[in-house]
Amino acid sequence: MTKWTFWVGTFVAVAALWGINYSLEEYANPYIVRVIINCGIALILGLSLNLVNGCAGQFSLGHAGFMGIGAYTSILLTTLSNIDFFQSPMGIGWAVVAGGGAAALAGYLVGLPSLRLRGDYLAIVTLGFGEIIRIFFLNMEFIGGARGMPGIPRESNFFWVYLWAAVTFIFMYRLIRSSTGRAILSIRENEIAAEAMGIDVARYKVVAFVISSFFAGIAGGLFAHYQGFIDPSTFNFNRSVEVVIMVVMGGMGSFTGAALGALLVTLLPELLRVFAEYRMVIFSASLVAVMLWRPMGIMGHKEIWHFFKKKGEA
Amino acid sequence: MNSVGHFKVQDLSISFGGLKAVSKFNLELKPMSLTGLIGPNGAGKTTVFNLVTGVYPPDNGTLDLDGSNLNGKEPCQIAKAGIARTFQNIRLCGEMTVLENVMLSYHMKKPYSLLDTLLRTPKFYAQEKKVTEEAMALLKVMKLDSKAQSLSRSLSYGNQRRLEIARALGTSPRVLLLDEPAAGLNSQEKVELMHTIAEIRDKFKVTVLLIEHDMKLVMGICERITVLDHGEVIAEGLPKEIRENKKVIEAYLGVSE
Ligand SMILES: Nc1ncnc2c1ncn2[C@@H]1O[C@H](COP(=O)(O)OP(=O)(O)OP(=O)(O)O)[C@@H](O)[C@H]1O
Ligand SMILES: [Mg+2]
Repeated sequence: MTKWTFWVGTFVAVAALWGINYSLEEYANPYIVRVIINCGIALILGLSLNLVNGCAGQFSLGHAGFMGIGAYTSILLTTLSNIDFFQSPMGIGWAVVAGGGAAALAGYLVGLPSLRLRGDYLAIVTLGFGEIIRIFFLNMEFIGGARGMPGIPRESNFFWVYLWAAVTFIFMYRLIRSSTGRAILSIRENEIAAEAMGIDVARYKVVAFVISSFFAGIAGGLFAHYQGFIDPSTFNFNRSVEVVIMVVMGGMGSFTGAALGALLVTLLPELLRVFAEYRMVIFSASLVAVMLWRPMGIMGHKEIWHFFKKKGEA
Repeated sequence: MNSVGHFKVQDLSISFGGLKAVSKFNLELKPMSLTGLIGPNGAGKTTVFNLVTGVYPPDNGTLDLDGSNLNGKEPCQIAKAGIARTFQNIRLCGEMTVLENVMLSYHMKKPYSLLDTLLRTPKFYAQEKKVTEEAMALLKVMKLDSKAQSLSRSLSYGNQRRLEIARALGTSPRVLLLDEPAAGLNSQEKVELMHTIAEIRDKFKVTVLLIEHDMKLVMGICERITVLDHGEVIAEGLPKEIRENKKVIEAYLGVSE
């Protein structure tokens, strides 16, 4: 791809996002818009967790905690500070990026000690971390405590959410198809062999974890500024589990799989609303069915286009 | 002349619980030499490799490669210092292709930065191409080039062992440690592999230490041989000295194979 086509492509894509955003806001049913935006936020969450749980093979259970840090950090800037973000064309962009940065820093602090340990420690540590973060928010009165934080400017929209979803996808896609990507995958495949080939396994676990936390924080910031209201229970353990389900269902290590998982986990409960109180029962049953049908997840380790290529082309 | 790849191991010891798996192990590998490490099952050969590559921290002993001390280093630092190995129980990245397994070894040379990766700069493409070509050349030496795009777990047992050697060579080692590379091959393949190993030593100017059960094979290509039994060196010398050594004969006859 030449520079020229790249910039034209980017311009067209951004214009298209803006156009769709405009039409949605003008003409679409607000319920539909809400579902579409929730899908976009789920995409960012699923794609980012896939790097750690799918590619590096480390089981993290604290994604909601990082999302929460991103959400609260960004509202500190937009809602509780005197900075006026809305005059600049970047809008909430910088506040959301700051939320991602804070989540990445938290990821570094949590990951550095716990990723050096082997086995399931990470699952336990991240589970504990998620709870600690939630309880911390619960006890901080200046950010609303248990009552939550109302009055967040609702500046997040289809444009921002899907712009970030696209950035996340391209980032992950390029990262994993590179030397660093091979290093991260080798951790999942065989840690001892990776070390013997000169890969600093502990370092790349942390790298993957920090990147993943960054995008979780971005998702949190976008989410807060879409909802206009957040409270600590928004970022509880259930949400972490939901993101894990996206990755496991989609296929560990497949980014198109994680995207598909994110869409399924978000859309399925909506489509099942006709079943009223049986909704979540049917939802859970369908998750079980998918896992029985494809224990490796819908995509396995493959990306969607691998299924359309002929054998031998690889 | 080539003077790198001079590796000295002194007084290396480790015990697991009460078992002295390796005790007071001494070894000197001259640059570009080809040395055999033999001994009956459970003698401690693989443990020596694990100690030398930092998988287990030794209770005692010093490691010295070309004058620099490798004690207490992490396995990845030892690989960077120039010691590469293969594994007796094959350890490949099964869900990665044969080519990707070898390209992995080039990562420590930092071919390009994370920024190059994300922006897909010309440097990214150029370096990726270069690494691919070099990895393909290694696969060719191990006669695996036609399988480059297959998943490594789909390879036959013998080919997986060859891939382990190609991958180890990708780190541009000074010292190459091979743990029973001929295990599971038929006698024809074994002989071929031994030739390949001798070729590798000459082509890549690397010091080789080879673990192998089969005395005849080792005698055929190694210049010197060290014999381990119950964690201790019971003999060291030229192949013909080893062949006539009483202790060695006893150790081997004492074990039913
Ligand atoms: N991690 C470990 N924990 C406990 N004991 C171990 C460990 N690794 C090796 N041993 C023991 O140390 C001894 C030497 O084992 P090692 O694998 O080095 O032998 P070997 O010479 O490579 O044998 P083989 O020819 O069967 O490969 C054995 O008794 C083994 O059971
Ligand atoms: Mg062994």
